[in-house]
Amino acid sequence: MTRRIARVAALALLALVTAGCVRGCTSRRPPIHINPNMDLQPKYLAQSENAFFYDGMTMREPVPGTVARGELRDDSPYWTGRDAAGELVAALPLPVTPALLDRGAERYAIYCAPCHDPAGTGKGILFQRGNVPTPDFRDPRLLGQPDGHFFDVITNGVGLMQGYKYPVGVADRWAITAHVRRLQGKLEGGS
Amino acid sequence: MKPRHPTYWRSYAQLADDPGFRDFVEREFPAGASELPEGIPRRQMLMLLGASLSLAGIAGCRKPVEHIVPYVDAPEQVIPGVPRHYATTMPFGHSAYGLVVESHEGRPTKIEGNPEHPTTAGRSGPWMQAAILDLYDPDRSRRVLRLGEPSGWEAFVAAWQELDATLVATGGQGLAVLAAPFSSPTLARLAAAFRARYPNARWATWEPLGDENVREGLRRATGVAAQPVHDLERAARIVALDADFLQTDPEMVSSARGFAAGRRNGVAGGEMNRLYAIESVYTVTGANADHRLRLRSGEIGGFVAALAAELAARGLAIEAAPGARPPAGVDPQWIGTLAADLLEHRGASVLIAGASQPPAVHAALVALNAVLGNVGRTVRYPEPRDAALSSTAELSALAEAMRSGEVTTLVLLDSNPVYSAPADLDFAEALSAVEHTIHLGSHRDETALGCEWHLPRAHFLEAWGDCRDASGAPGVTQPLVQPLFGGRSDVELLGLLAGGEARPGHDLVRETWRGILGELGFEQRWNRLLHDGVLPGSPAPGATPRVGAGLPADLGNSGTGAAEGLELVFRGSPAVHDGRFANNAWLQELPDTMTKLTWDNAALVSPATAAELGLANEDVVRIGHEGRELELPVWIVPGHADGSIAVWLGYGRSAAGRIGTGVGANAYAVRTTAAPWFAGGATLTRTDRKHELASTQDHGSMEQRPLVRESTVDGFRRQPDFAQRMVKMPPLEQLIPDHDYATGYQWGMSIDLNVCTGCNACVVACQSENNVPVVGKQQVRNGREMHWLRVDRYFVSDGGDPAADPAPRAVFQAVPCMHCENAPCEQVCPVAATVHDDEGLNVMVYNRCIGTRYCSNNCPYKVRRFNFFNFTKHTPEIVKLAQNPDVTVRSRGVMEKCTYCTQRIAAARIQARLEDRELRDGEVRTACQQACPTEAIAFGNIRDPESRVSRLKAEPRDYAMLAELNNRPRTTFLAKLNNPHPDLAPAADPQPGDSHGAAGEEHP
Repeated sequence: MTRRIARVAALALLALVTAGCVRGCTSRRPPIHINPNMDLQPKYLAQSENAFFYDGMTMREPVPGTVARGELRDDSPYWTGRDAAGELVAALPLPVTPALLDRGAERYAIYCAPCHDPAGTGKGILFQRGNVPTPDFRDPRLLGQPDGHFFDVITNGVGLMQGYKYPVGVADRWAITAHVRRLQGKLEGGS
Repeated sequence: MKPRHPTYWRSYAQLADDPGFRDFVEREFPAGASELPEGIPRRQMLMLLGASLSLAGIAGCRKPVEHIVPYVDAPEQVIPGVPRHYATTMPFGHSAYGLVVESHEGRPTKIEGNPEHPTTAGRSGPWMQAAILDLYDPDRSRRVLRLGEPSGWEAFVAAWQELDATLVATGGQGLAVLAAPFSSPTLARLAAAFRARYPNARWATWEPLGDENVREGLRRATGVAAQPVHDLERAARIVALDADFLQTDPEMVSSARGFAAGRRNGVAGGEMNRLYAIESVYTVTGANADHRLRLRSGEIGGFVAALAAELAARGLAIEAAPGARPPAGVDPQWIGTLAADLLEHRGASVLIAGASQPPAVHAALVALNAVLGNVGRTVRYPEPRDAALSSTAELSALAEAMRSGEVTTLVLLDSNPVYSAPADLDFAEALSAVEHTIHLGSHRDETALGCEWHLPRAHFLEAWGDCRDASGAPGVTQPLVQPLFGGRSDVELLGLLAGGEARPGHDLVRETWRGILGELGFEQRWNRLLHDGVLPGSPAPGATPRVGAGLPADLGNSGTGAAEGLELVFRGSPAVHDGRFANNAWLQELPDTMTKLTWDNAALVSPATAAELGLANEDVVRIGHEGRELELPVWIVPGHADGSIAVWLGYGRSAAGRIGTGVGANAYAVRTTAAPWFAGGATLTRTDRKHELASTQDHGSMEQRPLVRESTVDGFRRQPDFAQRMVKMPPLEQLIPDHDYATGYQWGMSIDLNVCTGCNACVVACQSENNVPVVGKQQVRNGREMHWLRVDRYFVSDGGDPAADPAPRAVFQAVPCMHCENAPCEQVCPVAATVHDDEGLNVMVYNRCIGTRYCSNNCPYKVRRFNFFNFTKHTPEIVKLAQNPDVTVRSRGVMEKCTYCTQRIAAARIQARLEDRELRDGEVRTACQQACPTEAIAFGNIRDPESRVSRLKAEPRDYAMLAELNNRPRTTFLAKLNNPHPDLAPAADPQPGDSHGAAGEEHP
């Protein structure tokens, strides 16, 4: 009898050990990894941690004032929304085509509509739930702004709005500008 | 008489067929290669093993925690994982190289040539490729030091301003600057401002391997201290006098490009150029020559005099001393033929002398080039602009002034004279006599140790600057990354000296360029300049010098007493140059093309001299010269001039860093101001010791088969497909049915041996691109070097007994993985770690590899490399930054080899898919292909009949190495053509239909 109990207890213990600590057991420690298999290599990938640099980032900022290949931004109005004198450009520096407007509508739906509302009324879902103050594009103040203003705001942000220069490329920013203009009733076209 | 077939051989040991050599080549890896590392006692080894095992127990068992660290404020243009490229310019003496540098998220990882730059034209050389590793050198100095104690920039600037207050009052009395040569608009502007601020200050410019002999010769001939710039593309006849313009010359990239154009001309049906090399040391240029004459360096002046006399006798209007006799042993017919050849090609020939030749030789060459009508066509003489040029006289005067106490404050800009100054100046002692010494340098080197202040110098990839190339085209150096160790540039320090206040280099450089580009539209033009890397528009051609037809009177006896005793020749190392690259592991481990030596310098002697003195390889000898002594191991080089000892400078550093300190012997110790390049009367004494040298010479030997195939231009015209007829193909059968490669891209490579100069650029480029580890001297000796691409060098004797041939020719063959369609390695892998993909790549699946090494055993080309130890395990943190993130860093126990740069194929394919198109020809370029100065390597889709690689493979010169084994390699070679003069000893023609014609050896 005792032997039987001992056998059951041993089995239970074994089940506990195998089931409890190898599978299904929560642990704060990282998983067991016996074969390194070149999973970790002495090289640095994008977005990795780095003990060499004081800020712990492998990724470095480009040195201010440098120009990379293929990134010569000669055409100031297109790249910055400002002309050579630093003034915001009055009109889009590229032709407004149906394709551009379609692209703008699509990007607007992704990046802008949550706050600005699909119709540009400023009553998007974040306004409804979080009461984020968002202007109406039909505000006379905004109706009177040059095209470059919208590009500039998308790029660098204004007030509570952050800049979108990183996730939204330059061409897309102009496309969104065109779409905003259409929402304001200043442009026709697109689907 | 034996048939006059050329015999291909690799070393004297092979010829002698000694048992050691046989044993060596027959073992897959040399004896001991599978054993534990040497130099570590067993007990310590166990301790190390124990430590690493216990570490593995703690850290290795669990997956390490990795954090994602994104940008806080992401830069607009950076997409993580997608590299960007920047144009910049690498200063090199008073020359410059235009580069395009790959940057992974703001971190430079790979250097290529800038296609828009006139010097590099998109190509590069070994030093350019290796510069990236210098940036990430863990031994670079990290902080400002004062008397060896940590200090800071602010403290230095304050100390300088205090000094400056007294110096300005006296006009810089007692102030001196020693700078490395430069050709930079900003540095020149600041130097001028410095002189204006301190009119009484002293300025010296000096580097150990300067070209002052060249400029002095030109000054004597033309009145202007100009420099020759050659256009070899237009030269049908090239005479190189101790000139290694294809490898160690700073302008090797443009020279090789021009030389290759002349070689290609011959293949295309035009006239092929013909290169005559007259030299003491067997250089890469000599190996590429159609005719090479061994001559001691001191006899070259006499040779030039004899050549001039011969030309005058044949009616050329040059005032040569009549009857100048050629140096002893030179066949008068050789000179006669050369003279006739030059006269037939007036205006399309060029004579080039190396910087080691005395001014008289250079002056004579200006006269000869002028009367031959070459000036303005194949050579021009522009004056260096915005330049400070090396002058030993300035250095000597400075050392004298320092010793006499005249100098109280010395500033050293990127200069290491304690190590490299001529021994008779005793610069270390002179330095100790100076009260305030300020050293700006990348390392705490020999000179820094003796200086009051040591300031860390920024690498050119982290600093703003500008420089002109040899032709005068200016470019801007833009930084790729902020200084890793807070270093400052030459521009910034000189700006402080010249202006009295510390200003950023960016401002100083822009200020210069405002003057050059003009205020109007400056920003736009400046940005265009940064983008392109070079100012568009060709620089003004050099003025045609007024040239007298007279030759210098001292031409014939310019050899500084070379006739008596042994001649001692100093040469810059093909790897570490003057010692500045001594701490660069890639260059230390780069096998020299001719000797295949790594990690050492040696005393190079000819077989006859060695026999006469009773020397064998690795015997340590004591070289005596003017009472100074140097101990070096001997290395015997076939084809070296008899009675001449050559030593490489740049080794024997005592404070280079962990890599370079104590490697080789310091030949500067016997170099004097009187004889900086060669001197007669040297003595050589044998010691009883041996010093082991690590040569890759015999590693991976391929015996008795026509691997390199060559013919003459005439032979090629008679029989264009000579290369394909050199091997009798057996009936080819195979067990495994063929895979169908008729769809998709099918990658292949073609290597043109006709234009491969053996410069080694591809080897370093491959190492940089593919994270190839460095293994160290001992492991190279054990045959464990890891280079994926090697350059084989074979000596060729045209008939007769090769061992008795005093001057064999040499041929090169770059050998990467052949990517055989019917690959022998794949058939023996027990775990399918090496397999073929649909595009014909022979790929390695590293994770599958269990390290049996069967594949390497079965590879007929010996291109597979096995990672015996974890060579990458202890990579310093900073060196990890230099690794290409797109390529696996292989671990221990894994076989690796050339992948055809599969990561580049993948990157191009992704781009093509994004743009919804097919890959274009030339879009995928392998690292070796991109680096090659002569475009000898072509890569592309062999299914596309219009691709460059397909067109090259369709040429009759195309052949596959060891095709008789039915491997069907995707990498094929184009046979080499020589262009010997019909009146001189011709190279043997291949024997068509002869199964081993070119090998000329008995088949076993």
